[in-house]
Amino acid sequence: MIKIEEVVKKYPGMERPAVNKLDLNIEEGEICTFVGPSGCGKTTTLKMINRIIEPSGGKIYVNGENVLDQNPNELRKKIGYVIQKTGLFPHYSVFDNIAIVPRLLGWDEERIEKRVVELLGLMNLDPDENRDKFPKALSGGQSQRVGVARAMAADPPVMLMDEPFGAVDPITRNQLQNEFLKLQKKVNKTICFVTHDIDEAIKMGDKIAIMDEGKLVQFDTPENILFAPKNVFVQEFVGSDRSLKVLNLLRVTKVMRKNIKRVKEKIEIDEIKKYFTHPEKNRILIESDEQEVVGYVAKEDITKDATIKDWNKAIKLFPSSLNEHNTLKDAMSDMLQHNIAALPVLSKDNKFMGIVTFADIRSYIGEAYEEYDQEENEVL
Amino acid sequence: MNELQRIANYFTSNLDRIIGYTLEHLILIVIAIIFSVALWVSIGIALRNHKNMANGVLGVGSFIMSVPSIALYGILISIPGLGLSRQSAVVGLVLYSMLPILRNVYVALNEVDKNILEAAKGMGMSEGQILRKVQLPLALPVILAGVRVATVMMVGIATLAVYIGERNLGVLIEQGLKRSRSDMIIVGALLVTVFVVIIDFFIGWLEKTIISKGIQSDDPSLPGGDL
Repeated sequence: MIKIEEVVKKYPGMERPAVNKLDLNIEEGEICTFVGPSGCGKTTTLKMINRIIEPSGGKIYVNGENVLDQNPNELRKKIGYVIQKTGLFPHYSVFDNIAIVPRLLGWDEERIEKRVVELLGLMNLDPDENRDKFPKALSGGQSQRVGVARAMAADPPVMLMDEPFGAVDPITRNQLQNEFLKLQKKVNKTICFVTHDIDEAIKMGDKIAIMDEGKLVQFDTPENILFAPKNVFVQEFVGSDRSLKVLNLLRVTKVMRKNIKRVKEKIEIDEIKKYFTHPEKNRILIESDEQEVVGYVAKEDITKDATIKDWNKAIKLFPSSLNEHNTLKDAMSDMLQHNIAALPVLSKDNKFMGIVTFADIRSYIGEAYEEYDQEENEVL
Repeated sequence: MNELQRIANYFTSNLDRIIGYTLEHLILIVIAIIFSVALWVSIGIALRNHKNMANGVLGVGSFIMSVPSIALYGILISIPGLGLSRQSAVVGLVLYSMLPILRNVYVALNEVDKNILEAAKGMGMSEGQILRKVQLPLALPVILAGVRVATVMMVGIATLAVYIGERNLGVLIEQGLKRSRSDMIIVGALLVTVFVVIIDFFIGWLEKTIISKGIQSDDPSLPGGDL
């Protein structure tokens, strides 16, 4: 969808080109995050795609057409553009801000009205309450939402976002990121997303382009970048806690065990005792007749009292549970907080889906690293 | 007869003449302000991206402002084609308004937030569209402030145009001085002041009306808002 070929940007009087022979291919529907230290050329690259900055050499294709052969203003109307400080027009209402590109394209007012109301809804902004507000009356998060809505107004297939969530507080940023990812699933745009924050790059990107001194250092999926950083620069840029970042990337469903022995609350104690005769079995899951997880029973609580009758009293409740959207980091965090080595994953209606254990997470990550190391050795 | 009665007396017995002078004053100011705004706003727009040239032109404006008004009129009437005429009066006023209007136009256009301009460009607006839809509306509060200063100044300077043939409120002051008639001087001066207050009020109304609510200050005592 976006193809960058041998693109160079050299400023007069500068020894090193700001962007040096960059090659990159971004597939349709992908979010590609550009990340790197200040002056690495990430923003310059982004701004060359809509020709805010003119390349000194090379070709950039958007949707198969070379952008350098097109009228820049016509090109820009087809590419959504979001910047850090929003750039909302302070003298325009929210409605008029979002309507800018549709009006430039000559849409009729009825169509514009429909589209603006739709977009405000998508952005979780009440249309009636917000359409006539001026930007000065909006919070940072609201402004940024309007900025994104404005960029999407004419439904461009491609969007360029230059540190779009950089100027808001961390809580709002997290919220905006989550909302945007959810939205992207619906709209499926091809997006270039510049950020200086590696965590944001990992979270938002289907692919990450790590740049340094005008060159592309590594272009890969977040997982590959975390498991197999190409060189010391990427390793250091990603941070020494990259294994922890992997945790944030993987969903609990990746390591969850589904076929776990479960018993109903009403069964006989003997059956449980029999289960615990197996030397490796220390815990058993208990569920209700409606297949809702009740808790678990520990071996020592059952075996220490040979005469135990009402074994239900020994049931311990899980201090917390996970859902399928939780990441391994969420799981680890809960486990550490509650000092427990396993947590159940429950569906929306509280049904049992599987169980995640501390040991499984450890071995999953460890094995993944081993696999990547082997691949690397094979290449060498 | 005390002073106050003399003033009132003069005012009522010469009402027709005074109204005539006031109208003449108004006509001169309106013509001058129309030309000033058209000329200096256009030049300000033309110079907005030429810093060095703008500095030169603004230097000329400062110089003109420092020339005494009487002397300026003296020079203007010696120019063929102008002479002792309304043209000279108008040209003088237009020249005096150069600095306040041109400087404000130039500064205001250049102070529009770069992020807003980049966003406008990024959405595919042409340079002309950016000027009309973004830069000028955002510069309007500062431009109008310049027009306000220029107009107030012109009302005062216009009184001196009586020396080159204008028959406006300046006549009352000039004649009063010549004949040592304080009542005439006071009536003339008061009317000029009232004139200024009315024009100030009008421009204030204009600001409220044509500046977007989005950039008007929430504080009603301040015109416009931040850019």
